[in-house]
Amino acid sequence: MNPRPISKRLRLTLYMAILSIFFIGAFMASIMIGSMPLSPSNVIDAIINPRNDPVASSIVLGYRIPRVLFASLTGFVLGISGGVIQTLTRNPLADPYITGMSSGAALGAAIAFVVPFFPYFAVPALAFIGGLSMLLLSIFLAKKAGAGSLGFILAGIAVGTFASAILMVVLAISSEKAHGIIYWLFGSFSTSTWGDFQVALTVSAPVLVFVLYKARDLNILLLGEEHAAQLGIDSKRLWLLLLLSSSLGVSVCVSFCGIIGFIGLVAPHMVRLVIGSDNRIVLPLAGFTGSLLIVVADDIVRNPLNPIAEMPVGSVTSMIGVPFFVYLLIKKGKSFGM
Amino acid sequence: MACNLVVDGIKVEIGSCKILDNVEITVEGGEMLAIIGPNGSGKTTLLKCISRAISPISGEILVCGRPAKEYNNREYSKRVSAMLPQWPSGFSMKSYEIVLMGCRNQARGIWWEGDGELEVARAALGVLDAMDLYERDFDTLSSGEQRKVLIAKSLAQKTGIILLDEPVAYLDMKYKLEVMNVLRALADMGKTVLVTLHEIDLASKYCENVVVLSHGRVVAAGKPKEVITSELLSSVYGVDAVVKWDEEIDYPIIMPKTRRIPKGEASCLI
Repeated sequence: MNPRPISKRLRLTLYMAILSIFFIGAFMASIMIGSMPLSPSNVIDAIINPRNDPVASSIVLGYRIPRVLFASLTGFVLGISGGVIQTLTRNPLADPYITGMSSGAALGAAIAFVVPFFPYFAVPALAFIGGLSMLLLSIFLAKKAGAGSLGFILAGIAVGTFASAILMVVLAISSEKAHGIIYWLFGSFSTSTWGDFQVALTVSAPVLVFVLYKARDLNILLLGEEHAAQLGIDSKRLWLLLLLSSSLGVSVCVSFCGIIGFIGLVAPHMVRLVIGSDNRIVLPLAGFTGSLLIVVADDIVRNPLNPIAEMPVGSVTSMIGVPFFVYLLIKKGKSFGM
Repeated sequence: MACNLVVDGIKVEIGSCKILDNVEITVEGGEMLAIIGPNGSGKTTLLKCISRAISPISGEILVCGRPAKEYNNREYSKRVSAMLPQWPSGFSMKSYEIVLMGCRNQARGIWWEGDGELEVARAALGVLDAMDLYERDFDTLSSGEQRKVLIAKSLAQKTGIILLDEPVAYLDMKYKLEVMNVLRALADMGKTVLVTLHEIDLASKYCENVVVLSHGRVVAAGKPKEVITSELLSSVYGVDAVVKWDEEIDYPIIMPKTRRIPKGEASCLI
């Protein structure tokens, strides 16, 4: 009989190749589109001979490339983390923010906006601290309640709601600064720098490698802690490690670019609906799908006339992703189970 | 591979409710032992203790002479495999993917399964005469077929001790016998097979020894012929039955006396 995993390998490669073609297209477009449109030859020229056209070159190298790299990384991290967290909680509705992390990050960012004299990097720093502390709090509460993955989801909702309540208060008492906070909440890559990208990559690269390395054991964790333990997996520890590492990646990206919803929920499902539930295939493809969605959305949000007034990237990801997702759902709804 | 299992006086309480009380069992390699007893007598809890899903409040479980709690998960999964009910469903997995999960404890490859693992998975399904299920979606299988796949998963773990919780429940006559034949064959291969059953006749036919649990205690143990008597059935199950051992076909025949519900007793339900 034909050993199936070889065909799995083939399928992974094939889908990866298809996604890469689209991704490279979106990536190139992202460098060309903007308040100063550039042709492909302009772009190549700007990279190879920066002296010919210093303005174009500084736009390409200083703004657009870091922006698209950061957006791709964020999409990749969100896609993979979404897949991991859906599997860990065994809940198809879970996304990387189910831990209360997004509300925590939003609260941290809002506080950084409101408090005077905070340096510019206070926003990502406090967002990171806020998100991670809410995550740890919900893990702690879930452990106390001891109700398994369902308890964890409930703890996450409780913690998130509490953080949101405080955020509302902060918004209400900071009327003149509320605009900045709300803009951050929309999520945007317009301010992404090389520095952001380097920090995010340094944190998320090892995390992504670890999570992908454990993809096979993650499949077994889908059966639940008890079954996984009997099959030889150190399930309690692995559960916690995978949750912490995938959340760490999300938390660092989100702290720079703001809350970008929907990708983490939907990218893994899109992949599952097309190719099944093996995380060794789902996770890498969900990462690529997330990157593709986010880069395309980031191309659409740009306003060539007024670079300041961009559309919120999170809403655009939803607007292009939801119709496609609904189409898949109706077409292949039966395999919606994880 | 032979490995003996000793359950030494374990006690389990859930809340204030005593589930198991001083249970002692010994099973040798090559032996197939059936645990029988009425619903709620603690059979499943006993298997869960041995598979380490529950830890007893006192007493000890020795696997190959070493206390169960001293093993780490991976080592333990090479000694003891369990086919417990409530296998989660709805994950659209193929049968072979489930069987391959059993091979995880031997896996060298970190990402894809190696050829050795695929060979083990095929052999496990082959022994059960279930190669036709290899590529089938687990959720679409009949319960008899699912049972075979889960047993294959346990076999793929290559353990000396196999625990099975009601492996023949919900199965038709043919599958019941098929599954029991496989379990007998495993014991004959030298494995230690511990199985809970509601089918007293099958237990008596296939197992060297039976242990009768009632209210968390071992009330009888030994050769089926000596243990399964009409007195036992009436005291443990509260069932009046005639038990006859047919020497010719070497099979116990259990004929329960039925009680007719008198007319009028349930008239309000009509």
